[in-house]
Amino acid sequence: MTTRQENPDRVEDEAPPQLCVLVADDIAGSREALAEQVLSMGHRCLLARSGAETLAQVARERPDVVLLDLLMPDMDGFEVTRRLRQQARGLWLPVIVTSALQGEEHFVHALSQGADDYLSRPVSFELLAAKLRHYRRVLALQSLGNQLAERQRAIHDHIVDAVITLDAAGQVNDANRSAEGLLGTPGQALAGQTCQDVFGLPLPELLARREIELGSGDSDARSLAVSVGNWTDQGRSFHTVALHDLSEQRRIERMKSEFLATVSHELRTPLTSILGALGLLAAGAAGALPQPAQELADVARRNGERLSRLIDDVLDLTKLEGGRMPMHLRSVALAGLLSETLAANQAYAQRSQVQLMLECRAEGARARVDGDRLMQVMANLLSNAIKHSPPKAEVRVLLYGTAQGWRIDVVDHGAGIPQAFLPLLFDKFAQADGSDRRAQGGTGLGLYISRLLVDRMGGQILAQSQPGQGSTFSLLLPPDAQAAGAWILCIDRDHQRLARTCDWLGGGRNVRGVADLAGAQQLLQQWGPPNTVVADPQAQGNADSFCKSLRALSPNGLFLLMSASVDEAFARAQQMVWIDGPDGGREKLLAALEANSPGTPGRGKD
Amino acid sequence: MAAVETSSSDELRRVMCVEDDPDIRMILEFSLGRLAGYEVCLCASGAQALEQVPRFRPQLILLDVMMPDLSGPQTLEQLRQQRLIDGVAVVFLTAKAMTDELEDLLQHGATGIIVKPFDPVTLGQDIRIYWQHGRDRPPA
Repeated sequence: MTTRQENPDRVEDEAPPQLCVLVADDIAGSREALAEQVLSMGHRCLLARSGAETLAQVARERPDVVLLDLLMPDMDGFEVTRRLRQQARGLWLPVIVTSALQGEEHFVHALSQGADDYLSRPVSFELLAAKLRHYRRVLALQSLGNQLAERQRAIHDHIVDAVITLDAAGQVNDANRSAEGLLGTPGQALAGQTCQDVFGLPLPELLARREIELGSGDSDARSLAVSVGNWTDQGRSFHTVALHDLSEQRRIERMKSEFLATVSHELRTPLTSILGALGLLAAGAAGALPQPAQELADVARRNGERLSRLIDDVLDLTKLEGGRMPMHLRSVALAGLLSETLAANQAYAQRSQVQLMLECRAEGARARVDGDRLMQVMANLLSNAIKHSPPKAEVRVLLYGTAQGWRIDVVDHGAGIPQAFLPLLFDKFAQADGSDRRAQGGTGLGLYISRLLVDRMGGQILAQSQPGQGSTFSLLLPPDAQAAGAWILCIDRDHQRLARTCDWLGGGRNVRGVADLAGAQQLLQQWGPPNTVVADPQAQGNADSFCKSLRALSPNGLFLLMSASVDEAFARAQQMVWIDGPDGGREKLLAALEANSPGTPGRGKD
Repeated sequence: MAAVETSSSDELRRVMCVEDDPDIRMILEFSLGRLAGYEVCLCASGAQALEQVPRFRPQLILLDVMMPDLSGPQTLEQLRQQRLIDGVAVVFLTAKAMTDELEDLLQHGATGIIVKPFDPVTLGQDIRIYWQHGRDRPPA
C-alpha cells in the first residue's frame, strides 16, 4: 500500500499549541498553585474539587491531561483513575497522579490502577513542564494516528467495488460502505455475520469462485466478478474479497453483439444486390455483354466477392476475439470431412489447374471438433495452397495418426515461405509480400482466424516451408477419447512369442502386433496412439533408448514390459509395469493389464 | 394435404419471394423469373405475403428473416396458424448468421436456409433441391 508518508518531525507543529489540563485537588491552595503553574506554561486549565467533579468535568469538557491528587475525601485518586479508564472509550486520556506522601508504593498502586504517570508534591515547575511537553507530543501522535485511520477508512468506503474481509472461519471482519449497500440489510452491520449468511455460500466456495450471482431471480439480479486477496496478520489469516459489478460490462457485450448482427445484416444486404446484379449481368440475364463490358463486370464481381469474404473474416474475428464464437464440438469422422472439403474446393483447383489429392492413412480417425469450423479452416488452407501453386502442380492432403493425436497435412509445391516470415504467419494481417499479385483476394486474416478456431477446438496449427520447394501446413487434433478406438500395441522381435501374446490379449480387445518400432510407427499413423503397449525389449537394441522411443508412441499410454531380458527395477525406472518374462503366462499378463488400466471394466466406478 | 393434383405439382413452378429490400427483390425476380423460368410472386412484407398466399398458391416460399414489422419466422408462424402453407416448402433467406441462429431457423420448421449474398445464377437450382427435399419428407 502506498500512503503519503506523514513526516514525524511535523508532529510537533501539528500538536495543539496548548493543552487543556484538568487540575483535581480538594485543597484550594495546592489546586490554585498548580493551576497557576499550568497557566504560566501557556496551557488552559480546568479545576475540580472532588473525585465526582473530576469525572463530570472529564465527561463534559474533554480535557487533554488530568493532574489528579491521590487524596481526596469523596473518592480517592485510585478509584477516580479506575473510573476514568472505564469512562474513556476510544481516546486515551493521560492521567498524572500527584501526592505529598512519602515513599513510592502509593504511586506504584496508582499506576497499576491505570494512571500513566506521577509527580511528587510540591510539584517541580521544570518536571511538570517537561511532562506536559511529552504528553503534548504523545497526544499529537494519537491524533495523527486517528487521522490516518480515518483517511484509510474514507478511502476504503469510497471504493466503488464492494470490499469485504473475512477471517479463516468465514466470519466477516470488515466491510466497506459499498459492501454494506450491496450485501447488507439496513441497520444490520455485516461485520460479525458469516460468509454463509451474506453470500449463501461456504467460505471455500466463495474463494474458489470467479463470479457470483446476487439476488438471482429478482429484477435487479446481478453478476459480480470475484477477486480474492489472502493475507495474514499475527498468525491469523484473512481473505479480502473485492466484488466488481459486471452489469455494465454485460450490457456493453450485449450491445456489441447486437451491433455486430446489425452490421453483418446491413453490409450484406447491399452486397447481395451488387453481387446479384453483377452475377446476372455476367450470366447474360440481361442479354450478352460486349467483351470490354464483360471484363469490367468481372472486375467488379471479383472485388465484390473479396469484400464479402473480408466482411465474413472481420465478423468471425470479432466473434472469436470476443469469445462469442460458439463451438459445437462433436465426434467427427475426419476422412469424410476431408473428402467433403476437397470436393468443395475442386472447382477452384480446376480453374487454377491444380490437382487435389487426398491420402487417408487413418480411415477411422475421429476427433471432437466443430465440423463446420474445421471445414472452414481446411478450406482456408486448401485455397492458400492452390493460390500459391504453379499450374499443373499437386496439392496433397494427408491424414494420419501421431502420438499427439490426428494430424492433417496440406502439402503444396509453391514458392514456399521465407524463413523470416514463418513465425509471423499466424498473426493478424500477415501476408508475406503485400505486392504479391497472387495474394490478391486474401484478407491477411485467414490463417489468424484458422489458428484461433483450431485453438478453440483444442488443436494446433503448424507450418513448415522450404523456399523454392513448397510449404506444409499441419493441423494436430486431439483424438476423440470417447470414440471406440482404444487399442493395444504388442512389440516383439520373436514372431512366435508375438503371436502368443496377441492371442492371450485377444478376446474383445483391439490388439495389433509388430516386430519393431518402425512397424509401430506405421500402426500409429493408421490408428492413432495406442492406449496400452506390451513390449519385449529383447533384440531391440539398447533397452533404455528402446523404452524412450516406446514412451514417445503414446504420451498417456500404459506400458507393460513382458521380458526376461530386463528386471523389475529397470521397468520401474522407466515408469513401466514389469511382468516376469514371456513365460509368465496369460493370467499374469491379464492380471497386470487389469490392475493398471483405469478404464477396465471391474476396476472402474460402479 | 391434397393427394391428387395435376401433373404440374410434380414440378416446381410457383415461387413466392418475401423480401423487404426492393433491390434484392429485383435480383430475385431476375434470377428466379427470367433466368430460371419460375412464376414469381414478389412480396415486400410478411403482411403482404399473408394476403397473397391464398391467391397465388406458392409451392415454395423464399422468406427473408430480418424484416420490419413481421419477421421471417413470425410470418412463417402466422402462415402456419392460418393453415395456408400445408405442403409448401419454406426456405429462409438470411445474411450469414451464427450456427446457433441457423439451427433456430430450422427449428422454426424451415425446409432450408439460403445465405446472403447468394448466387443468382444457381439460386433457381438450389431452391428446386430444397423443394424436392421438402416434398420427400414425411408429413410431420
